[in-house]
Amino acid sequence: MKKYISSICALMIAVAGMAQKVDRSKAPAAGPAPKIQIGSYQNFTMDNGLKVIVVENHKLPNVSYSLQLEIDPIKEGEKAGYVSFAGDMMSKGTTTRSKDEITSSIDFIGAQFSSGSDGIFGACLTKHSEKMLEIFSDVLLQPSFPETELEKAKKKTISGLISEKTDPNSISSKIGNMVTYGKNHPYGEQMTEETVKNITREDIVNYYNNYFKPNIAYLIIVGDITMETAKAQANKYFASWTRGDVPKMKFRAPKLPGGNEVVFVPMPGAVQSVINITYPIDLIPTTQDALVASVLNNILGGSGFQTRLMQNLREDKAYTYGAYSDIAADDYVGNFSAGASVRNEVTDSSITQIMFEISKLTTEAVDDKTLQIVKNIMTGQFARSLERPQTVARFAKNIDKYGLPKNFYETYLERLNAVTSMDILTLAKRVLLPNNAYITVVGNKEIESKITAFDADGKILKFNPDGSVFVDMRPAPADVTTQVVFNNYIQAVGGKDKIAKIKSFEQKGKFDVGMAKLDMQSVCIANTALRMVVSMNGNAMMTQTWDGTKMQISQMGQSMEAGEAEILQAKIQSDLLAELHYADFGIQSQLKGIEVVNGADMYVIENIYANGLVSTDYFDVKTGLRMKTITVQKVGETAQTSETTIVSYGETKDGIKYPSVVKQNAGGQMVEITISEFNLNPKVKKKDFKI
Amino acid sequence: MKKRILLFLTAAFIGQLGMAQQIKFSEYNLKNGLHVILHEDHSTPIVAVTVLYHVGSKNEQVGRTGMAHFFEHLLFEGSDNIGRGEYAKYVENAGGGLNANTSQDRTFYYDLLPSNQLELGLWLESERMMHAKVEKEGIETQREVVKEEKRQRYDNQPYGNLFPETLKRAYKNNTYAWAPIGSLDDLNAAKDQDFVDFYHTYYVPNNAVLSIAGDFNPDQIKKLIDSYFGEIPRGKDIVRPTFKEEPKGEVRDVIKVKDQLPLLVQAYRIPAQGTNEFYAVDMLNTLLSNGESSRLNKSIVDEQELAMYCGAFTFNLEDPGLTLAFAMANMGVETNNLETAINAEVEKLKTTPITDGEYQKLRNQIESDFISRNSSMAGIAESLANYYTYYGETNLINTEIDRYMKVTKEDMMKAAKTYYTPENRVTIYFEHDPSLLKQ
Repeated sequence: MKKYISSICALMIAVAGMAQKVDRSKAPAAGPAPKIQIGSYQNFTMDNGLKVIVVENHKLPNVSYSLQLEIDPIKEGEKAGYVSFAGDMMSKGTTTRSKDEITSSIDFIGAQFSSGSDGIFGACLTKHSEKMLEIFSDVLLQPSFPETELEKAKKKTISGLISEKTDPNSISSKIGNMVTYGKNHPYGEQMTEETVKNITREDIVNYYNNYFKPNIAYLIIVGDITMETAKAQANKYFASWTRGDVPKMKFRAPKLPGGNEVVFVPMPGAVQSVINITYPIDLIPTTQDALVASVLNNILGGSGFQTRLMQNLREDKAYTYGAYSDIAADDYVGNFSAGASVRNEVTDSSITQIMFEISKLTTEAVDDKTLQIVKNIMTGQFARSLERPQTVARFAKNIDKYGLPKNFYETYLERLNAVTSMDILTLAKRVLLPNNAYITVVGNKEIESKITAFDADGKILKFNPDGSVFVDMRPAPADVTTQVVFNNYIQAVGGKDKIAKIKSFEQKGKFDVGMAKLDMQSVCIANTALRMVVSMNGNAMMTQTWDGTKMQISQMGQSMEAGEAEILQAKIQSDLLAELHYADFGIQSQLKGIEVVNGADMYVIENIYANGLVSTDYFDVKTGLRMKTITVQKVGETAQTSETTIVSYGETKDGIKYPSVVKQNAGGQMVEITISEFNLNPKVKKKDFKI
Repeated sequence: MKKRILLFLTAAFIGQLGMAQQIKFSEYNLKNGLHVILHEDHSTPIVAVTVLYHVGSKNEQVGRTGMAHFFEHLLFEGSDNIGRGEYAKYVENAGGGLNANTSQDRTFYYDLLPSNQLELGLWLESERMMHAKVEKEGIETQREVVKEEKRQRYDNQPYGNLFPETLKRAYKNNTYAWAPIGSLDDLNAAKDQDFVDFYHTYYVPNNAVLSIAGDFNPDQIKKLIDSYFGEIPRGKDIVRPTFKEEPKGEVRDVIKVKDQLPLLVQAYRIPAQGTNEFYAVDMLNTLLSNGESSRLNKSIVDEQELAMYCGAFTFNLEDPGLTLAFAMANMGVETNNLETAINAEVEKLKTTPITDGEYQKLRNQIESDFISRNSSMAGIAESLANYYTYYGETNLINTEIDRYMKVTKEDMMKAAKTYYTPENRVTIYFEHDPSLLKQ
């Protein structure tokens, strides 16, 4: 047996000896860098102005034809959608072929074929290319736009709009575009059921007649084809296409929001929030800025696992499956976007982290190592993109379209390597705007209060999935007024007569602030004086005293006099019938309507204080009790929001109700207050409140 | 165990077929059982280094669903020689890209590298096979990441659980009853020891294929592969689940969703991929839904205007899989109208022979798809590994089309009659429930 084992050992050693032993402790050295060779292309311009680009690649016996028109964005207004309808409808019938003839001929040769508002695409085996081009040119030159097909397309599109309403990703991109560019910009306007219904055949025919002209088009041919065949085919199928003047459009650049603007789309039952932080930028493709922006984006959240967003939100905090950013250049107006899909609980934390990473790039130059890594990544991406012959075709088109030097892409890697961290910082300050962004969130309503704090003025924009303004509220019945709601409330907590007889009260309870447990004790003489003491293990940590005129706040041995705002709050708190006296306090109250909160109908009353504070109260329609208050206080450009939810009411034996469990969320800090004792008319005197 | 045709250290030369360029490759086994496939192509200076492990969600057990996919995430954590989270750094810093995916039947890892970094790819993948190291912190982080992946790709998508819900009803006796993403509860329940066992059982050279495509030196690569992978010890033979018969009888169900348009799913159980009947079924699906002139598109979407979308797909699996048709109704259309209309199309497959013209169209479509498929190094490496793993015949990358071309019109009708039967079917109505829209 032993002998047998040793012979196996010998055999294993022999086997191992055959292979070269490698040092596994470190990565193997790279070989000499391969030369990155960009494939060649040929191009020519036809008499009618059509520019043809040909990239020969005989690896596979197939060929593709992509016709691309350079059309300015078009504002469609109340007929939003007609431009895309026009593209789609081109292949739905010609003067010589019915739609069925087109689709069955295309399918018979196993080709791919599609038409759009700015071009036509066809790909097939080389042996079928003539058959496909016959249909291609027929669709391009003699589309008939049958009325019946328009009706069918409308029906499908409207169904599509309905189905989109539960797709958080399409809603996110739709709403993002709407706010970034504005509803009056071609990039921001939205197709709705109404606009689709407004579209006529005439709109489509006009579009085709105005814009489908060879002098604004490229025909890009890629694949198993020779230049000779390409020329012959271009002449045979596209020479009869006639030139024409094409309308040019100009649009005002969209404005940036003055401060961060939270845009929220409530999605019932959502288990994730789709976050997208976005705004317009000025960035033209193929410029040096665009190259630097692309380096910047690859540091922030381009592709791969090493970007800052990915490392922070996925690998470090596990908030998301993936976090990404994009700094998109565009001929008219570009845009920045950064976001992730994250579970509901970490929505606000995720926004904080994304904003943190964006801001950091505007203040700290990236180190040399990071920069080198990103250059390596981009060099690799560039090299790999050359595997597809379509890449060279795209380069050829850009060289022509933007009037670039012929060797523009040959020198791409040199230009990339010359980018410095100062270049990046300079551009970051221009295109990363963490204080002028739309923070769009498509998610569960439960996250709303958490994201409000990110809004500069505390007033978030809310939309429905279809882009219409979200109205939480329905109108209250005509006979219900602010006074009725307040009276009902007073009645519900004990009634005006009983409450008016209360001379004083005291309460004792506990604060639960996550880690810390604090004791709270407060005592009040109605309309006269108030004191609250918060203590830990019997030691007072904070004391607030209002003696009827002045108010003092002592904290950790330090005392200070409170301002008018705090005194006003103390006065209101000591008035057990304050709701009936709001006008006396300089508060204007308005009943906004009825909103559903946690399944229950609530009257919503907005109270605007003379000092600008806005508090919104929610009163249960059935019980009359106040269940929630949201307070927004503007501080300079930002707003502080706090939300107080009354979880339950207690009741004294005299039938007076008081909030016994209260949750408060202020600036992301959650506090739960539980009242253990509530006594009416304890013996207290005004002089006990002497400051 | 399937009989496999192994060509030890011999290049496989391939006969002519049509106009398609042949994918040339060589393949051989290392002594530890690792199967190696090499495809050389110098047109771009890149190389795809890929490893396919023949393990997927079908190798999981009830109570531990999602394990294979979760494990795929963990295998990016590190090894004895690669620090936590450094896999991606090595590849990306070298100008490469990497990722992985998990199906019912296999897990596939790939590194796409500049060709001068071939050895880096071999080192990384051999470390993954030999020395994977998974620490507590990594497990906890990836557990949460995978949960977010499930929410993002299933729970928070319109009709997001269509696929898992269909599988659950189509399979009662087999481990195809769940999707690779598995369940959140099972992910929570997984113990550290489960991962250790999973690794030692399935991540062994005799259960893997190393498939490399691109710009490499054929004289050096075999030595390098031997250096990096030769010393990895062979594992035990893999015990694979055997497919058990599924009960006959239609499964019907209604699932309430917040999505507003009704959606119909019809799934029929079909034979395993690679069988003659499978190719006949796949051609039936081409007939039903490939292209705008296909039967479902023409009849259900265009002429009757019942659906805004209608399609049929072959869900091919190593063991008997499914064919899946689904249709999203146009507004105002009831699910049962959709079902009646689709059933009528299915009935036609059984009773009316297809015309010569339609038959030729199918063959042309399949030819075009087949020829156009192998356009990237990454795609070729994966296809080669799949063909070897599932069929034991790597050269099917060039010849599988012959199997399609052999299918006759009669074969198709027979397949329709045999498999497209009510007792072999799962029908699910996804219907809108307004109460799910309450906040």
